[in-house]
Amino acid sequence: MSAPATAAPPTSAGGSAPREPRRRDRNAYGWPARAFSLPAVVVVAVLLYLPFLWTTWISLTEYDGLGSPEWVGLDNYRAMFDDANFLTSLRNTLIWVAGTITVPVALGLLIAMLSHGLRFGAWLRLPFLLPYAISGVAVGIVWVFVLQNGGGLSQALDTFGLPGADTRWLLDAPMNTVVMIGAAAWQQTGVNALLFVIGLQSIPREPIEAARLDGASGWRMFRHMYWPMLRPLTTVVVGLGLVASLKTFDIVWIMTQGGPGRNSETLAVTMYEETFVNSAYGSGSAVAVFLSAVTFLAAITYLRRQLSTERTV
Amino acid sequence: MRMRHSAVLAAVAGSALVLAACGGGDDDDTEGSAGPGMINFYTDKGAWEPQFLEVSDVSELSLGLGLDFTGYSDADQYSAFIRQSFRTNEKPDLFTWHTGSELEDLVAEDLLAPTTDIWESAISDGNVPEALREHFTVGDEQYCVPMNAAYWVMYYNKPLFEQYGLAEPTSWTELMTVADTLLANGVTPFYETNILFSFVWFQTLLAGTDPDLYNALSNGEASYTDPGIVEVMEQWRTMLETGYFGDPGDQTTPQDQLKNGTVAMINFGTFLSGQLNSVSMVSGTDYDFFVIPNANAELPQTSLIFETGPMCTAKDAENETSALQYAEWWMSEEAQTTWANARGDVSFNPKALVQDQALAELNEQSAGDDYLLLERYFEATPTPVLTAALDGFGAFVTNPGDPMPILETIQAEADAYWSEQG
Repeated sequence: MSAPATAAPPTSAGGSAPREPRRRDRNAYGWPARAFSLPAVVVVAVLLYLPFLWTTWISLTEYDGLGSPEWVGLDNYRAMFDDANFLTSLRNTLIWVAGTITVPVALGLLIAMLSHGLRFGAWLRLPFLLPYAISGVAVGIVWVFVLQNGGGLSQALDTFGLPGADTRWLLDAPMNTVVMIGAAAWQQTGVNALLFVIGLQSIPREPIEAARLDGASGWRMFRHMYWPMLRPLTTVVVGLGLVASLKTFDIVWIMTQGGPGRNSETLAVTMYEETFVNSAYGSGSAVAVFLSAVTFLAAITYLRRQLSTERTV
Repeated sequence: MRMRHSAVLAAVAGSALVLAACGGGDDDDTEGSAGPGMINFYTDKGAWEPQFLEVSDVSELSLGLGLDFTGYSDADQYSAFIRQSFRTNEKPDLFTWHTGSELEDLVAEDLLAPTTDIWESAISDGNVPEALREHFTVGDEQYCVPMNAAYWVMYYNKPLFEQYGLAEPTSWTELMTVADTLLANGVTPFYETNILFSFVWFQTLLAGTDPDLYNALSNGEASYTDPGIVEVMEQWRTMLETGYFGDPGDQTTPQDQLKNGTVAMINFGTFLSGQLNSVSMVSGTDYDFFVIPNANAELPQTSLIFETGPMCTAKDAENETSALQYAEWWMSEEAQTTWANARGDVSFNPKALVQDQALAELNEQSAGDDYLLLERYFEATPTPVLTAALDGFGAFVTNPGDPMPILETIQAEADAYWSEQG
């Protein structure tokens, strides 16, 4: 006997009015649907949930990659907050967050606004977009040549008789973090500009023309028309920048390896340093869990705030 | 009903495929095997592949065994890979590692095949100095064999020395005079770096000032805050502030810095010879080296820093017996002559015929009574202490200042480490 195409709604024993079927009963293909989703669930569990659970477990142990992990409870987390290197790393990460969600976003918006509506606007934006085609590692290598002592920047300042030729851009903290943010902004600005241009092109013409007829222009037009209508896109751009800045690794590793003396480390670099350089898998995992939690909470908090604000707007 | 069963079966089959893709091969398959006559060999010296394969060609002929080479260029990734491999069925047949606490860590977990018999035989055959054995001894057994050997000496740009009429110094005073002359002529005397090899000048100054203190520091009997250590750091600081050293943040390779004349001298291991040759510098013409004189002229012997990297065999590796056979051959005169000349370096085997005349002389001299061999700081220092020291020295050469905070940080790590050792 074949199964009916749809399941009959359940009735109560007393014959009273049928209740609303429970959510899980609505799907007539319950088992097949679950079975079809099983491969995806297995992949997600094996590749995402299990590694995270394993990392969390390792963070509660002392483990050097050999033998068996030894349970130490929250000791790694306590030691982490007592460690001056971790606190420096945390400070640097906050500088990265502040820098990444302001500089490339602001510059991207500026470029998009200035080139929007121009006849050759796309050509004006193109040079800013080119660095995005380069990997983060290549960007780091290029900027090392520019910023190292006696490098391109120092030589240029010296040639033009400008101050700063002797500045040790990559050696002194927090200067090294600031200039690395500049290098990252060089790469990220173009794509942010492109996203803002897409946002500008999706804005309906009517309200803009109406505002223009009402005499709005320049800063007032931007402040009261473009900026509010770009808000959903700004939320996305800033949100992506927030998450990316919290897990900054490649450019720092290439340009300074977190040094000298660990003074330019970010949390992601500290995680790597503890795990793979010091073979302190427990400490490294504690930093990883902390970083994951911070990234998750920051992203959720930011998006919730922004989306609820947009709904009220 | 049939449709439901089919759907479930399809989904289960899909899951099985995913799991199969994620899983490894079973014990019976040959995946990971190096094949007959070949031994899986792993190293973090990926750039040395041609030299390893050159030796492998010789071993295939004389031993019937060759190396299936896997090289890593990142030491940290390599270390993580080796550590994790012990948790799998694909344990490395042969792999390079470090002496000191890193070797002790592997032995403590019973992960290495002992090589005591190989050492007995090699020492009795004169293939390795008895003095080297202690670096491979944990408890009563020896583990691994020496993969290479190197002495830390001072390389110099020969044309630069000739240009300013400089000769190889034979005392510390003469070395400082050479440095002053170079500095006066606008040439940076010494190479310096704030990454990895930031310890080198600390090692040189301490070993050349008080070798007993150097050894005591390595085994936890002395403190980094002892007056002798502080004095050495102050001497280093004076040299840094005088301008004797190049830019510690310059990421140009040391061989290129010497070739370009960015610096006139590099305090480095003899393996730099191979790197200098690779940038078309000729030994005796473009570069040469000398043993660094003691900073303390009253010492009876010249302190000479020595390093050796082990080649180990994992216990219960797939080709454990063949790998141990290979390790034994590696110490032989034939293997070491091939290896030393392929690399352009010295050998731990006194019978090896080193073609580079300067290296051959150094190899011979180092065995004499005039020199006191001291293990390189990198291997002599326990890993957690070394990590703190490298960070501290890296910061110190970048921003020379009061060394005490750095020394106290290193000593805090040392206290924690040695208290755990009981």
